[in-house]
Amino acid sequence: MPVYLDHNATTRLDPRVLEAMLPYLSGPYGNASSLHRFGRAARDAVERAREQVARLVNCQPGEVIWTSGGTESNNLAIKGVAAGVTPTRVLYGATEHPAVMEAAETLKASGWAVEPIAVDASGRVDWPRFEAQLLTGPVRLAALMRANNETGVIQDVARAAALVHAAGAWLHVDAVQAAGKIAVDFVALGADLMSLSSHKLYGPKGIGALIRKSEVELAPLHHGGPQEKGLRGGTENMAAIVGFGHAAELAQQELEARAVPALRLRDRLEAGLRTLRGVRIFGAGVERLPNTVQFALAGYDGEALLMQLDRKGFAVSSGSACSSGKGEPSHVLLGMGYAPEVARGAIRVSLGRDNTEAEIDGFLAALSALVPA
Amino acid sequence: MIYLDYAATTPLDPAVRAAMLPWLDEVSGFGNPASDHLPGRRARAAVEAARAQVAQLIGAQAEEIVWTSGATESNNLAIKGALEFRGAAGAHIVTSRIEHKSVLDTCRHLESKGVRVGWLGPDRDGRITAEQVLAALRPETVLVSLMWVNNETGTINPVVELAPQLRERGILFHVDAVQAAGKLPVNMADVPIDLLSLTAHKFYGPKGIGALFVRKRPRARLAPQMHGGGHEQGMRSGTLATHQIVGMGAAAALAGERLADERPSGDGARIAVLRDRLWQALGGLPDVLRNGDATRTVPHILNLSFAGVEGESLRARLPGLAISSGSACSAATREPSYVLRALGRDDELAGASLRFSLGRNTTAAEVDAAAAQMIEAVEFLRALSRGDSACIESPRHGRRSAVQDIGDVYPLSVWARFSNPAHGGCLQGAAVRVARATTPASRAEMELSLKPGAPLEARFRAYGCPYTLAVGEWLAEVLERDGLPVLRRIDAAAIRSALEIPEERAHCALMGEDVVHSLLSQIESTS
Repeated sequence: MPVYLDHNATTRLDPRVLEAMLPYLSGPYGNASSLHRFGRAARDAVERAREQVARLVNCQPGEVIWTSGGTESNNLAIKGVAAGVTPTRVLYGATEHPAVMEAAETLKASGWAVEPIAVDASGRVDWPRFEAQLLTGPVRLAALMRANNETGVIQDVARAAALVHAAGAWLHVDAVQAAGKIAVDFVALGADLMSLSSHKLYGPKGIGALIRKSEVELAPLHHGGPQEKGLRGGTENMAAIVGFGHAAELAQQELEARAVPALRLRDRLEAGLRTLRGVRIFGAGVERLPNTVQFALAGYDGEALLMQLDRKGFAVSSGSACSSGKGEPSHVLLGMGYAPEVARGAIRVSLGRDNTEAEIDGFLAALSALVPA
Repeated sequence: MIYLDYAATTPLDPAVRAAMLPWLDEVSGFGNPASDHLPGRRARAAVEAARAQVAQLIGAQAEEIVWTSGATESNNLAIKGALEFRGAAGAHIVTSRIEHKSVLDTCRHLESKGVRVGWLGPDRDGRITAEQVLAALRPETVLVSLMWVNNETGTINPVVELAPQLRERGILFHVDAVQAAGKLPVNMADVPIDLLSLTAHKFYGPKGIGALFVRKRPRARLAPQMHGGGHEQGMRSGTLATHQIVGMGAAAALAGERLADERPSGDGARIAVLRDRLWQALGGLPDVLRNGDATRTVPHILNLSFAGVEGESLRARLPGLAISSGSACSAATREPSYVLRALGRDDELAGASLRFSLGRNTTAAEVDAAAAQMIEAVEFLRALSRGDSACIESPRHGRRSAVQDIGDVYPLSVWARFSNPAHGGCLQGAAVRVARATTPASRAEMELSLKPGAPLEARFRAYGCPYTLAVGEWLAEVLERDGLPVLRRIDAAAIRSALEIPEERAHCALMGEDVVHSLLSQIESTS
């Protein structure tokens, strides 16, 4: 298998997590909504996992709503908060994940004003403009991600929370990329809603969570069934929920043990990249996730480099796996003010806990060979 | 524990599990199917192979399968997506009152948005007829949503007959096929259904994965309900869970093979034989009604109403059986089945109805053991209830294992008295005083009979939930132990604290208080 440097797209399932899941992939475990004993055992496991996820992000177990993943969490948060109220404004960061942007944009059809929140060239909120924007009229919801999936740039969400709350709005935080890589504290960040995804932190795919403060009124995205207090119908995905819970617990315990080596490797990678001609590291001067580097090489097309690196056995990406294959320049980099031709050259390397110095050196050697000085 | 709840969920087939495991492997099976590198491409190939398998089960093309998180999402996407694409303003849709909650709630939601909904009720056999559907159509009808097989009764709706007629009229037809897929032949090449919902965990696949069939020719158009990233041809965004999808594909392939096996040992024939065996055993009890149309039903579901038995107590007497009082999705609310009420059963009878659903692993021995437990429970409760005219002692049974199984639902003080009452029955003779009380709302009844003297004797009969029966047993017990003076010290609060009865069951204690009051006034009026 290739050297995997695309951990922001997805991570390997931790064998310890798989171990925890296996009992729920065999045996007569029932539908967690059934009243009989099998159902009750299933329900206990679901509630245990809810506590584990709650501990990872310092929220109450009762605030955790299971979803099928980050995309559903973001859709549920944004559409759920806007449903059934008089339309005003919804704001979202210019570098948000497509699930946030597109979910917000759908609200236009029902009369909402939907506006991006400008970011500066480093990818962080342009504070003076944001403050002015909040004052121009009533706002229902602002959505800002804790850490960007492409650049890894970390947003000062707590600062935004104070402003958003002063404007009488709710704050939604997409923490899909941040959780498990840096400390995420639902309370300290001042978030009202927060999205999480299991497969970004060595858990299974197909499961995520939306954290919701009980004061936030939410309409369901999927109607039907009393599961998740009526906010998210559907038979519970037992094995995946248990896996997510276990992965969250491990992520909490091993947060530093994962972040410190990742940062050391990232520094090594960046030092190597800087020896290449025409390299530009996005968000270089600001606080970023310890595992993420997005860069471009002047005069080189990102897609072409990716394909060549793939052939040489290195799995990296241009940005979001969710928009790969479309050939469009990264909206994140465009939002930061880069020209489309610069954005088109972007390559994202996202490190994981298994990557080694030798792999980084190998990657640098392969890249150097592709872009002779 | 005998599992007879296969319509709620099925165990993962070991072969399906084996197919999933490589895609939970940390070395080779972890790629994001949307990624453009080797791990991503490998995952994508597995996803596409599974898509073909699911398509084959229902006679569709692979590109007509959209992955979802399960049937609830599929039903939401189909109905809301179709309405949103066509424009909900002025639209009319037709559905039935016996659909799964996810269809009902979605249609109610649309109704609140101004969409007009024609709600069809079933006939006494639980059937929605084609004529009924056609009669409900209006010029502005854009969608009909009807389940292929009802999840509670197993009755088959005439979707095959309806489909061409709706196609002729240009009306989109959505079918929730959750209970049909793998149980009946489902062939989209022959039946012009436009949208069809599926879920893996009803056919021995994993939970958390489902699919929506979206016809390509003529193309059924949907507005996506989950945005971001444009996965699934833009119809459903979100990272695909490779292992779940592979599991659904493998389960579909297996279900197709087993469905095609028409030998007596094949799934369909074998399960129908077991279902009939269960019905034969239970149909012999007096006052047992079969719900649904026995001539148009899937092989695996048997739904019965037990008259004269209170539903909660019946279920509580059956700790060794994993069965359902309806759809698991409404179990949490403890409301009587809306499907059975729609069939014309009153709340009482709907509450005393059980759905037995059989599956691949069900054996004749399990069916016989389940029938024996059922008969014992029904006879026990009927003997204890006042409705039984004969004045007989209640049967007594040791049920130690039962306490372990279901004791966590009820306080032990209630459970012990309910499961093994020592004072069930009634007393006769000139000196005997009899007091009765009822709760109108829940239609529970309690009778206490008392023979003064030394020793004083007390017996109770009751119809109601386990709390009611426990209150009756406790009153008789306390009277025999402490004698008549104790009556003045007993009120609802005392009953509740002695039996740890929670607030929501306070009416059971109040009924006990009424019985005590009635007894006291009888004693005072004669002394």
